[in-house]
Amino acid sequence: MTNTTTDFVVDAAPLTRHVNHRDAPIWWGIVGLILIELSVVAAFTVSYIYLRLMNSDWPPQGVPLPDLVLPSLTLALMLTSCVTMHLSGKYLAKNKVYQFVIFTFLSVGIAIVVLAMRWHQMSALTVRWDEHVYGSLLWTISGFHFTHVVSAVIGTAAIGCFGIAGFFNKKRQIGVVADTLYWNFVAVAWLPFYVVLYLMPRM
Amino acid sequence: MAALMNNTAVYDHHADATDQLRETWRSPTGLLGWFKHVNHTKIGVRFIITSLVFFVLGGILALLMRLQLVAPENTLMGPELYNQLFTMHGTTMMFFFAVPAMEGLGIYLVPLMIGTRDMCFPRLNAFGYYVYLFAGITLYVSLFAGLAPDAGWFSYVPLANIEYSPGLGVSFWTTMITFIEISALTAAVELIVTILKQRAPGMSLNKMPLFVWSMLVMSFMIIFAMPTVMAGSVLLALDRTFDMQFFVPAGGGDVLLWQHLFWFFGHPEVYIIAVPALGIISTVISCFTQRDIFAYTAMVLSLVAIGFVSFGLWVHHMFTTGLPQLGLSFFTAASAMIAIPSGVQIFCWIATLWGAKIRPGVPMLFIFGFFVVFVIGGLTGVMVASVPFDMQVHDTYFVVAHLHYVLIGGAVLPFFAALYFWYPKVVGKQMSEGIGKWSFWLIMIGLNLTFMPMHLLGLQGMPRRVYTYLQEMGWGDLNLFVSISALIMGLGFMLTIYNAVVSRKRGQPAGSNPWRAATLEWATASPPESFNHRHLPVVSTLNPLRDFDDKASRPCVAGLRADRREVLITTVVDARPEAVCLLPTPTLWPLLTALSVGFGFLGFMFKPILFVVGFFLTFACIVGWLWPHKPWLNE
Repeated sequence: MTNTTTDFVVDAAPLTRHVNHRDAPIWWGIVGLILIELSVVAAFTVSYIYLRLMNSDWPPQGVPLPDLVLPSLTLALMLTSCVTMHLSGKYLAKNKVYQFVIFTFLSVGIAIVVLAMRWHQMSALTVRWDEHVYGSLLWTISGFHFTHVVSAVIGTAAIGCFGIAGFFNKKRQIGVVADTLYWNFVAVAWLPFYVVLYLMPRM
Repeated sequence: MAALMNNTAVYDHHADATDQLRETWRSPTGLLGWFKHVNHTKIGVRFIITSLVFFVLGGILALLMRLQLVAPENTLMGPELYNQLFTMHGTTMMFFFAVPAMEGLGIYLVPLMIGTRDMCFPRLNAFGYYVYLFAGITLYVSLFAGLAPDAGWFSYVPLANIEYSPGLGVSFWTTMITFIEISALTAAVELIVTILKQRAPGMSLNKMPLFVWSMLVMSFMIIFAMPTVMAGSVLLALDRTFDMQFFVPAGGGDVLLWQHLFWFFGHPEVYIIAVPALGIISTVISCFTQRDIFAYTAMVLSLVAIGFVSFGLWVHHMFTTGLPQLGLSFFTAASAMIAIPSGVQIFCWIATLWGAKIRPGVPMLFIFGFFVVFVIGGLTGVMVASVPFDMQVHDTYFVVAHLHYVLIGGAVLPFFAALYFWYPKVVGKQMSEGIGKWSFWLIMIGLNLTFMPMHLLGLQGMPRRVYTYLQEMGWGDLNLFVSISALIMGLGFMLTIYNAVVSRKRGQPAGSNPWRAATLEWATASPPESFNHRHLPVVSTLNPLRDFDDKASRPCVAGLRADRREVLITTVVDARPEAVCLLPTPTLWPLLTALSVGFGFLGFMFKPILFVVGFFLTFACIVGWLWPHKPWLNE
């Protein structure tokens, strides 16, 4: 490189230093993370269906059908939280930081309600995880999703705190974009779990 | 804007600006500084060296097994230790050598090849390395404590269930396998995003080197394959720790579910390590013939096709499990189908080599070795792909012979070619040609004499994974022969490692492009400076260096600041410049995060609640890792 002359054909100086839109490296990184996690979701879902097909009694004898009301409500709340997260991002894009913070914490609040509902439901379960694979699946998949909601809540609450501190604005919103993407995954991942855990035993 | 431009490359070629750039990208010195490194060249070399250490350890385990099998009814070791040895040998070679070695090559070479300064998430890179290191150390500590896993590298249940494998051994396996896959997955995401978003301007996807293509395909395969084995090993860990019933038939579980989950990962795994090898082979052949690889487009498409088809083969590891015949036929057909894209690769290489003046050189020798060994492995592969034949030789030494031909041919020999080929770039010195040739011939002779007789042993009925055999079986002579040959092969491998060590001091200076190769990693100094390329290159063809030779000047990028870590972001398909991204600086947080995650995983084995502690520790570390520095809005 030293003894040939260099011919500058591209000037990077005028290019933006704030990549905020969907094509940013961090956005792709989160897409990668979601693909990985979707593979895990698929592995759990397929394992559930496989084990369901291997057993004639489902749920096993003596175990009542799971309640359908709270899980359905969970599904509705999770999807609602996607909307509130989406709105918070919209406000940030318009530089309305105050509304952005409000909607971020609103989403966190909804997710905390979901956690409380899930906790209540799990503690009311009569089937243990070590009795039958039905219980093992119910507890493992629920725990897996619960942990993810906890991570999303903590991460998004941190985003909200940085929002209060004035870190995010119209120019600096990639952190929010990435967090929202992950949030949507956590919310939508409930859908296949809802289908296998609560609808399949009724089929 | 003028103030901004002070520091850019546009207006000066002064030594001052170069010095500033060097300082900006410099890795910190000192012992504490060593743990802060994030640059891809540093992390890539660590991956490669660590994987070679595990390669040697795995090799020693193999030689110990051969020592035990040297004579019938040998009493050197009992079945407990022997079981640990073969489990650790397989686990080491697959998870701790082959995958990290290939990823290490990618991490080191890809940014140089696509003309950027570092990978997109440098701290994640460092984190992945520490996870790998801690997982490996933990597993070997368990071996020396006599607590190593002993249920084979695929840990089949019910053997691996708590009832038949009590104690910590298999728990170490499930925990560390889940843990190390984090490392493979971070590297995969990192490689994908770097390849898609940081290529030099002008390097559209159809001008991307085949090695980079192979790394892209490998990374996507990792993303879809590894999570399955993670999910599986988590389920097994839950069975073992909390008495869950996933793989326990009495509780409604199913043992074959484990085999499905494992081999849905396990078969693509073979291609995860073979696909980068294909990239290495194309690169070396192209360089040593000074030709373009014949039919570039067909090569790319067949790489992608191998990636897809490899996900449809897993059941051919399960032919003897009593699955329905129709299903088996499908997987036989799929197993045969993958021969088509593999064949495209081989024929394009032959077409490239045809009539070419092939330069001599150790990397090319190893490639010829690949052809011979891989073809033999492929032929026995066709044999075991047929269900009735597989029924006969399943779990015998025939399969041991087959898989070693495939894996050594398909991954180890190309990896050693890569070592000889890129060593001058990494170290700045040439490896000894003479020692290289000795090493190559010892490996070739040793491995054929080791594994060829194993076919016979298998056909004579010797099962794999037995710690001894009876005198009356008549397997003694062949086993003695195999053990002596294994020693020759081991000597061959050690010669290359010796060569790599001594050539650091004694080797001839390599210069920037000793092989007259055409890809961008050879456009910069050997070893590369901290900033990789002084000015980021702009490319217009598949062979930028060959074209540069014809011209008086090289097209470059201007306008990147020298006082902070800036890289150019380009569009996914056409690589048009679109933005500049600021990369983070060296830090201890990746190390601390890896320690926290490791604490959570290891703690889980002893007291499940410690996993929760690890979870929150990890979260605290991630916040520290991502903490923005004031002033936030200085631009």
